[in-house]
Amino acid sequence: MSGTRLVQLAAERLIGAACRRLPADVRAERYREWTAELPAILDDESIRPSWLRGLRALAFSAGISRATRQLRRSARAGSRHTRNSPWRAGALRARVNSLAARLAVGLGAYLVAVAVTVTVMSARPDPRGWPFLLLVALGIGFDVFCLADIARARQVRYLPKWIWALICLIQLPLGGILYLCIGRIGPAPAVLPEDTRA
Amino acid sequence: MKLTGPLERVLRVLVADPTMPHYGYDLMKAARLPSGTLYPMLARLQQEGLVDSQWEDPRPDAGGRPPRKYYQLTAEGVRVARLELARAPAARGMTRHVAARPAHGTPGSAR
Repeated sequence: MSGTRLVQLAAERLIGAACRRLPADVRAERYREWTAELPAILDDESIRPSWLRGLRALAFSAGISRATRQLRRSARAGSRHTRNSPWRAGALRARVNSLAARLAVGLGAYLVAVAVTVTVMSARPDPRGWPFLLLVALGIGFDVFCLADIARARQVRYLPKWIWALICLIQLPLGGILYLCIGRIGPAPAVLPEDTRA
Repeated sequence: MKLTGPLERVLRVLVADPTMPHYGYDLMKAARLPSGTLYPMLARLQQEGLVDSQWEDPRPDAGGRPPRKYYQLTAEGVRVARLELARAPAARGMTRHVAARPAHGTPGSAR
């Protein structure tokens, strides 16, 4: 398989992943539109040297990813569209609104995390065993998730973003839980600045 | 509609020959915009009825190339684009453009 073909396949995959953010009724058409641009880029004689074309095609796909995010946001602003993926909507954002209830959920999650850790550590104290590594991996994964969420959020509550990030990093399970329960606002607001201007 | 820099570039390309349809990559190159900026903008313009799109008919001579989607200004789009672009240079202080292309009723020495 030639390099160009490989790049094209990779770019199509990226576009496909980006299109999943779009509502189901326009997804297929958008995918066809954007993948149809790829041959034009990959055969563009004006881009030299030729390997740059592959990069441009990948950059195009990355841009599509940004575009679908933007399109999803403005669609959400226009109408209360149901989102494609419950995970993206924030499965961890419990559907409770009062601060006390959110704190209780957070406390529960923290106690569960502590209980699991204590149980695992007392059953298998070996620091090189797989249960320990699994816990470490879970911790890192959770932290990365929280940091990514902070980075993507338009706004967070009560504290500046960087302080929330610091809290998440320093207090491994608790900081992240606190952020998710208190600091996280959740999905973008219904009306966006670029849509309010007439 | 607020005329931002990227929007202005897209409109200039589209209005240069309003009858000529452009596909996405063509517009990206002509307006020197990344895909992440161009497509949301086209979607917005289409929503406002200023831009129209149509799929190209599958052609046998295309060499197996998938059909493209082409974008074009609507009649209303041409009107709005000309209006906005005519207002733009003065508002943005781009005096070079004014000097190069004086609008009707503007003295040639508009600098």
